[in-house]
Order: sequence, then structure tokens, then C-alpha cells
Amino acid sequence: MTGAPVPAVSCRGVTIAYGATVVVSDLDLEVPRGEMLALLGPSGCGKTTILSALAGFLPISAGEIHVGGRAVAGAGRHLAPERRDVGVVFQGYALWPHLDALDTVAYPIRRRAVGEPEARRRAAAILERLGIARLAHRRPAELSGGEQQRVGLGRALAREASVYLFDEPTAHLDATLRDRLQLEIADHRLRSGAAAIYATHDTAEALAIADRVALLRDGRLVQEGTPTAVYDRPIDLWAARLTGLASVLDVRILGPGAGTKTGGDRRIEVAGSPLTATVAMARRLPEGEVRAIVRPDWVRLGGTIPGRVETVAFRGSYTDYRLVTPAGTIDLRAGGPPTVGAGEAVGWSVDRLWIPAEPLDPATRLT
Amino acid sequence: MGDALAVRRGAWLTAAALVAAIIGWPVIRLFGVAFERGLATVVETLTGPQATAAIWNSLWTGAVVAVLAVASGTGAALLTERSALPGRRWLRAGLLLPLLVPPFVTAFGWARAFGPRGLTDQLAGIALPGMYGPLGIVVVLTVAATPIAYLIVAGALASRVEPDLERAARASGATWPEALWTVTLPLLRPALLSALVVVFVFAINAFGVPAVLGTPAGFATITTRLYQDLALSADPAAFVRATTMAATLVVVALVVVGSADALFVGRGAARTALPSGSGLTRGRRTVAIALGAVIALATLLPLVALVLSALTRATGLDPVPANWTLDNFASALDPRFLGGLAHSLALAVAAATVVLVLGAIGLAARHGRSRVLGTAITLGFAVPGSALAVAVLLAYGGWLRDTLAIILIAYVAKFWALGHRQLAGSVDRLPGDQVRAARASGAGAMDAFRSVVVPTLRPSIMAAWLVVFVFALHELTMSSLLYGPGNATLAVIVLNVQQLGDPTITAAMAVLLVGVVAIAAVPLAVAGFGREPANRRERVSP
Repeated sequence: MTGAPVPAVSCRGVTIAYGATVVVSDLDLEVPRGEMLALLGPSGCGKTTILSALAGFLPISAGEIHVGGRAVAGAGRHLAPERRDVGVVFQGYALWPHLDALDTVAYPIRRRAVGEPEARRRAAAILERLGIARLAHRRPAELSGGEQQRVGLGRALAREASVYLFDEPTAHLDATLRDRLQLEIADHRLRSGAAAIYATHDTAEALAIADRVALLRDGRLVQEGTPTAVYDRPIDLWAARLTGLASVLDVRILGPGAGTKTGGDRRIEVAGSPLTATVAMARRLPEGEVRAIVRPDWVRLGGTIPGRVETVAFRGSYTDYRLVTPAGTIDLRAGGPPTVGAGEAVGWSVDRLWIPAEPLDPATRLT
Repeated sequence: MGDALAVRRGAWLTAAALVAAIIGWPVIRLFGVAFERGLATVVETLTGPQATAAIWNSLWTGAVVAVLAVASGTGAALLTERSALPGRRWLRAGLLLPLLVPPFVTAFGWARAFGPRGLTDQLAGIALPGMYGPLGIVVVLTVAATPIAYLIVAGALASRVEPDLERAARASGATWPEALWTVTLPLLRPALLSALVVVFVFAINAFGVPAVLGTPAGFATITTRLYQDLALSADPAAFVRATTMAATLVVVALVVVGSADALFVGRGAARTALPSGSGLTRGRRTVAIALGAVIALATLLPLVALVLSALTRATGLDPVPANWTLDNFASALDPRFLGGLAHSLALAVAAATVVLVLGAIGLAARHGRSRVLGTAITLGFAVPGSALAVAVLLAYGGWLRDTLAIILIAYVAKFWALGHRQLAGSVDRLPGDQVRAARASGAGAMDAFRSVVVPTLRPSIMAAWLVVFVFALHELTMSSLLYGPGNATLAVIVLNVQQLGDPTITAAMAVLLVGVVAIAAVPLAVAGFGREPANRRERVSP
């Protein structure tokens, strides 16, 4: 083989339908070896459907899926789940009520025609690695949610697959546990060197855990990129709101630089106040009025643009404000406790702007 | 609160008294009479050649039927619940169809379809050897019992075996037979056991099928022997034998059931989950067609054969349009038939209504001690119908012999459990928070019951009434032992005509009987059919 290395997973033109209902259409995805891709999207966008098709639980209606360079689905082919080089971690854990943790983790090892004592020895080693060796002889009913999902993770790791599929594995866990398990998953996945696809509707989780993020809307891929790329340069307002807080700001581009495609520091005017900001854009910069996306950490209190504080939410290490301004309603995040109260007039300023290719409609909602 | 407690205590006492009168006393009487001549007589009776043969025949056919029906019901459940077969709802409906046909009609239909001089014999010269005799009994009882096993296993598949559990096995490298063997079947074990028990009790309890297919071949079971001894014989020794065998039947059933609650494991309405990808991925259409063909052959063809027999002028003529006539129906609709229809309808309406009232009393009595009641009520269902009829006859025959009332008592004793479980089950599923929310919204206790509980329960109440109605309408076993001159029920009349040996009139009557049951069951089928959510997707795309 010459040229680019074979990706661990590749989907080309994958369409999945239940009867007449198309749930996923024309999906193109590639995940190189050793990379974790997050599938981020709201409920019902097709994340689980895509994972089911990759695992072989669902047939695809069109397109092709390759795992490790081998065609597993498409063109009349449907390789059974057990013949694909794929491990799965389920949202509802899917632990077998009649098997204890050790037998559960040993199950995939036994399927590779490894003898029982050896399989149990290896399973015990995996439980040890996951820090749950003491739970080896407990059944699911005797395990907490976090413990159950660790067993589920152990079972997937025992598969020694080259691709792991995570279907919202932390959705049923509380926030603290979720963060811990995310770190463990990232850690174990890195050590195994396998590729992974991680479906989630939790933005913070997707940005924190993944090498790349794919944004899904109604079964279509909207955007794909590194976490910082999808955060800093969302393709439209829907993508912006899926990846975090985003406000729409009316600005006027002044003087030199207008009409070019080069980003950088530009003179702009917001609600009559001139200032300099870092402007990034996906199209030729127009002269005059334009709508831009700003993140809450791209604006700050203190400055010459007038505004009024509508709401204040203290969140511990930082505070979220919502400002009503002549240039639009702006979400603003500042470190530390609140410094102004609701209803007060403030001056504020903006450091960065992002102007996507398409004009922005502030009425855009996530589903 | 004091009032509520008083109501509950009153209801409990009422329910307990009724259980004692309707189920307890007859069963006690049965054992009293069976043992009043001492243990030696019992042993002597049971070891007599006729009794031994009948008991042995009942036990082995029951065991074989249990294994076969659970195997076929499980296979069908795995196909309809775990593979995306085209036309799944039609296949489901077809699988449940035998429930609506009285088993002795199925037996008669099979004889007309596959027996000597039956439809296939006439058309293709193919007749099933051994149609009359143990083979026919086993086959027809298996057909009749498969839907029971299917319901239990399909319910358990839906409620106990999440499709993700099988997917997890596949994703761990298990082939689908391996996943079936290591995950699905172990999780189904309680349901399979329960299905085996229920089908076994159903089979040893069956009277119509051995009466139609066994008696002509001289093959007796406990139930047909009971019928011979009780209904066709005036010999006091025969009566003693009948009582003893009835008591034996009760003991066998109760020993097998063990815990009476085994009868109702996994009876929840089968929910529909998406195919797990663990079943078939290829050849679904072929499998669906094959399954449909089996259903057609086992269930529909016998009905067709019945209709053709009923339409044909005389036995032995080819069932072609030239030989068709409606005369058989005209002859069938004689005053006896119409009288039987009136008796059956009256009994079915009365039994269904009484069972609902009793169910309501039982509900009002629930709390703490109610498990005793529930178990006692279930006992009535577990006691084989023949034995129950003998018991009721012994307890109340003195005053009520040859009246519809004594048949009604037997029906209520038998079907009480159906109504009770249905109502209790749906009350258990009613979240307490809904009632609390109504109270917190300002509704009084009665108001909350009327505005929240009753509307939620209405489908269950209707279903309970209809189930009892349909079962009572085609009840044969108890009716055949309890009827007297001038108050035979419809099923009894059809069976009597069949035993007199006029196949065309019998066929016409059987068709009419099935028609009456089918009409009564239409609302039930519609309710059950509509319950399936079109396409559950919540687990697919969170």
C-alpha cells in the first residue's frame, strides 16, 4: 500500500432508513487509527443509528462501510457483528443479568477460542486495570451505575478490537462520575491505540474527550473538525449553538481590510463605538454592516459599547451575564464572582469575531 | 382513614368468604368424598387398569405437548420479536388465532382437514396416519397450546431480554446461535419453565381434544375417563372412580404448578422492540413466508376444511361448488342449537360480569394479607376444569344440579383468576404519583378514583370482561360434566352432535360456534392489535 494509511473506519455515502423513514443520509466519515471522533448532536439526530450500522446491528440502505480497510457493509454485503473488528460500549450498559463481572469480561475472550482458565485470567487483569477487581463476582444487580459501565468498558476492551464504539456511555451517570469515567475511557483508549467513535449530546464531553468532533443534524453531517476548530469557526449559527454559547452581534467593518479574505486585527464599529478586534471569516469581508458570531469568552465587561445587564448567573469559578445591547443580546462570561447586578447599565467590549459563510439568522434554535 | 380501613376489611372478608364458597369448599368436598372410603380404596381405584391407563396417557401426552408447544412457541417468539420479518403483526395475529377456536373444534377441524376422508385425503390422497389416537391428540394440543407458550415467551423477551443484551454478545464476538445459547435462553429460563408448567396443566386439563380424537380410537385420558364415568354412567363405582381421579388430577396439577404464581410469570403485554440484529439478517422474507405457511396449515386449513364440510351436501362428496348447500346450516340452527347459544351467551355475560365485580372486591381488599387471596384465586385457575366441575357438583349438586347456576359457579371459580390478575396487574402499573397529583390538584379520594384511576383502567376492565366472556363462551370441559336436560351450552351441543357422528352438521355447528366466538372476540383483537406502537425508536436515536 502506498499513499495515505488505511483509516480504521471509513463511511462513504452511508444512508440508513427504517422502512420509508431515512434516519441517516449520505454520511461520509473517516477515523484514522489512534484517533477518537466524537459524534455530537441533539437527541434523535441519528448518533445511535450510525453506531448500530457500524457495529452491524442495522443494515445500511446505501453506501459503504470499511473497518480496518475491510468492507463490512454496503453493496449487498452485511458482515455480522461478531465478524467485525469492533467493540461496543452501550448507553444502558447492556450487562447480562445472569453473569458476574468476571464472566462478562471473559465472554468476548472465550469467543476467541481461548480456554476458560486463561480467559478468566485475562479478564481478571482487565478488571484490575479498571480498578474494579473487587467486583469480579458481582452481578449487574449488585453494581452501581458507574461500576456497571466500568464492567461494560472492560467487556469492550476485552474484545481487543481496532475500533471502539461508545454510545453515550456516561448519559446515565451523575456529573462527577461522568467526568471520571470520561478520563478513564480516554486513558484506556489511548493505551490500546485503537480508533474510537464516541456518540454524545454533551458538548463539554465531546470537546474535552475527542481528537475531532463531527456535528450531526437530522442524520446529516454538518461540520467536522478539531474541538477548537468547531468551537472557534462553527459553520453556521446552529453549529455554533450546538458547540457552546454563541451570540449574534451586529458590527460594521471599517476601513482597510474590508473586501479581502484575510483575517486578523480589524477596525470595527459596534453600536456606534469604534474598536479593534480579531476577525476571522469564511468569506470575503464585506464593507459595512455584517452579522458575526461571538462566544461568551470573546467579549468582556469594561469598554465603550453601551449595554444593560439582563441576567446574572454565578457559577463558582466564573459568572455568566446576559447583556441587552443595541447590537444584539450578548452572552458574556467573566472569571470570578459577579461584579454588576441585573438591571445595571454597563460598558463592554469585544475581542474576537467569527463571520461564517452563510448570513446569520438569530432565531436559529437547536432542534 | 378509619372508614377506608373498614371498607378494606369488609371487602377482604367478603372476598375471603366468596373464595371459600366458590373454590375452597368444592375442593375440600372433592378430597373429602375421594378419601371417605379410606386410602386403600383410593389406591385400589387408581391402580385399576382403566385408571392407570388414563392417568399414564394424560401424563405422557401432557409432557410431550408441553415440550413441543414451548419449543414451537419459543421459536415463533424469537422470529417475530427478534427478526424484522415482513408482516410481523399479521404473523403475530395468526399465531394467536388458535386461542379463539375452542380446542375441540380445532381437533374436529384437523380431522376434517388431514384425517381419513378429510380434505387432503380427498384432494391429494394424503391423510395423516394416527389422526385418531395419541398422535393426533398430541399434534392438535400442541397447535392449541403454542399461542399460550408464545405469549409467555414473547412477553418475557420483551420485558426481560433487552435487545442490547444480545447486541452486546454479538459485539463481543458471539455468533447468533451462540448469543441465543449464552444470553437469550438463560435469561428466558424462568419464562420457559413457566410456559412448560402452564402448557402441561393445559394439556392434562384438555377434554375436548381427547374426546374427539381419542375416544373413537379407545385412547382414554383422565378427563375423558371422568366424562365416561360421570356423564355416561350410572354405576356408583364409576362415580367413586370419577371423584378419585378428579382429586388425582388436582394433585398432579398443583404439584406441577408448585407455586401457583408460576402460572402468571411474564404475562405482560408483549412490547415491541426493534429487531436486535441478533436474529436473521438474511432470508427474512423466506422465513416469514414459511412461518405464515405453517400457521395457515395448522390453523387456517382446518377451519377451511370445517367450512367446506359444512357447505358440502353429504360426507364423502368432493367439496366442490356443485356439491355446495346451506342446508347443513339450516339443520344446525335447530331449537337445540339456539337454546344452547342462549344458555352460553347468558352464562358468558353473567360469568364475565360476576368476575369483574369479584375483581373489584378483590382490589378493594388488597393490602398485606391479599397475597393469600390472590393465591387462592389463582388456585381456582390451576385446578383442572374436569376436577373443578366434579368438585362443584359435589359441593352444590344437592341443590343446584342441572341448573345454569351450578355451571356459572364453576365458570366463576375457574375464570376469577383471569379477571383478578388483569385488574391487579393494571392497578400495579398505575403510578401512585398520578393519583397523588390528582389529590394535590384538589381532587378528593373518590374524585381522583373516578377522574384518574377509572379512565386509566378502562381498557383493562374491558379486556378482562372480554377475555372471561370469550373463554366462557367456548368452555366445554366443565359444561360437559355439569349440564342437565334442557340447559346444555353451545359447545356441549356441538360435541354431542359430533359424537353422534354427523360430520356435516357438526361442521356447520362448529363453524357457527367459531363465528359467535370470533364476533365476541373482535373488540379484543382490535384492542390487542392496536396496542403495538408503530415503530419504537427511542432506543435507536437518543
